[in-house]
Amino acid sequence: MHLEIITPEKNIYKGEVSLINLPGSDGSFGILTNHAPIISTLKQGTIKIVESNNSEKTFEVKGGVIEMNNNKIIVLAE
Amino acid sequence: MANLKEIRNRIVSVSSTKQITSAMKMVSAAKLRRAQDAITQMRPYSKKLQEILENLSSGLDSNEGVYSQEREVKNVLFVSITANRGLCGGFNNNVIKTIKRVADKEYKGCNITIVSLGKKSNDSFKSSPWAEKGKSIYTKGISIIDDLTFSNASELAEILMGEFAEKKQDKIVLVYNQFKNAAVQEIQLEQFLPIVPTQLVDSKASSIDYIFEPNKEFIINEMIPKSLKTQLFKALLDSRASEHGARMTAMHKATDNATELINSLKLSYNKARQAAITSEILEIVAGAEALK
Repeated sequence: MHLEIITPEKNIYKGEVSLINLPGSDGSFGILTNHAPIISTLKQGTIKIVESNNSEKTFEVKGGVIEMNNNKIIVLAE
Repeated sequence: MANLKEIRNRIVSVSSTKQITSAMKMVSAAKLRRAQDAITQMRPYSKKLQEILENLSSGLDSNEGVYSQEREVKNVLFVSITANRGLCGGFNNNVIKTIKRVADKEYKGCNITIVSLGKKSNDSFKSSPWAEKGKSIYTKGISIIDDLTFSNASELAEILMGEFAEKKQDKIVLVYNQFKNAAVQEIQLEQFLPIVPTQLVDSKASSIDYIFEPNKEFIINEMIPKSLKTQLFKALLDSRASEHGARMTAMHKATDNATELINSLKLSYNKARQAAITSEILEIVAGAEALK
């Protein structure tokens, strides 16, 4: 699935991922490919992604929103 | 005819001024590029945020909530966005004049507060009672212009939202130069709070059946402040790009004027030199004639 992480100042990440772990407002959750459409808010924490080639990456966020639809994830981070 | 040395001195001083103005023009052009890039960088974020917000607010009455409450306007707060430096044509003055005009006309009798961003606005409202209260609200009005980041802008946005939510202010207006292109800036009076309800044009946005986590209302309440912060940040970025555009144009004109002045000075210098030579020849000829 395709992931984009956008902040007001720049585009942090763009690429294919197989798993993303997010610090949701109600607790951390993960999204795998073919997840149902979802909109959720994030709190301060770490976003962890597993890229298609199995390498892991982490990003620190202060808060944000995530939208997933049709295997496209957009994280609006702060 | 002015004396030769005087003209020569003037030519030297005008050309060094010309060097300075043309250097400033180059610097502004480079800064303008960066400022424009920053605006383009932010566009996808604000566009997406708007989309999600539209997805969410369908089916919900967006007129509820602390930030969209319309109250009788008694206390008005102006956020005056200017630059820290001058030499940019009417850029700073337009903002200041607009605020003075609107405050005197439309909001006569209201309690007016001005939050000054940028040294120029700060200086010109220094003696005004309106700015006193503004200073106690936000103190970093000068440093924010040089250090413009989203977190600084959101800090200010949070303060403004707090003022509105606590009913200390009934209306908050942003006054800034909107960036049209490098040569054109337009003064913008933008209502920041209460939120101006947006007209939803397309109904197709809500066709996807989203899961909302934790729930719709919570997400909306989280997102409205975000969109306000984005709005303020955008105004600040616009103002910064406009500042450099205005300065570039002003400096371009100054360089042109200096070139023109140098040309006319050179002309009168040559005329004066020619006149001196002519009179010298006349003297010699007259002297030779007298010896005959």
